[in-house]
Amino acid sequence: MDPSALNSPELQNLLAQEKEKAMISEMISKLTSSCWDKCITGSPGSKFSSSEANCLTNCAQRYMDMSLVIMKRLHQ
Amino acid sequence: MDSFSLPSSGSPPKLSTDDIMTQLRTQLEQAYAEEFLETVRGKCFDKCITKPGSSLSGSESSCISRCIDRYMEATGIIGKALFNQRH
Repeated sequence: MDPSALNSPELQNLLAQEKEKAMISEMISKLTSSCWDKCITGSPGSKFSSSEANCLTNCAQRYMDMSLVIMKRLHQ
Repeated sequence: MDSFSLPSSGSPPKLSTDDIMTQLRTQLEQAYAEEFLETVRGKCFDKCITKPGSSLSGSESSCISRCIDRYMEATGIIGKALFNQRH
């Protein structure tokens, strides 16, 4: 393989995009795991109750809020 | 994760950017699928197999089936919640 192809801006750009997508996927994966543990306390049903579904949504959004709080705190 | 497998031939392979990205995306998808599988196994084992018997009971089997569906649904809910933020 032509080694200079590895330095191409096009490839670097595509790799950066994939890296970002991978980080997002990983965040969703970890958050789903955590929020499942917090919100789905009983045996899984044939659909989520509205309280379970709301809990999952709240869980993700509170995580984002927390993330902001932490960032702000660490930048003080 | 497996290392990339390059096509073997006599002459040096000419890998395009497309080839590299296609291999990368394929391997990433495989890695995600394996990770998801592993997570679902763990969660559903904990939820559904509370008292291991000498075989999987009918209720354990239906619990597992519901568990997989719910976990996939949960993944979608979390994904949507993360990107529908209203501040």
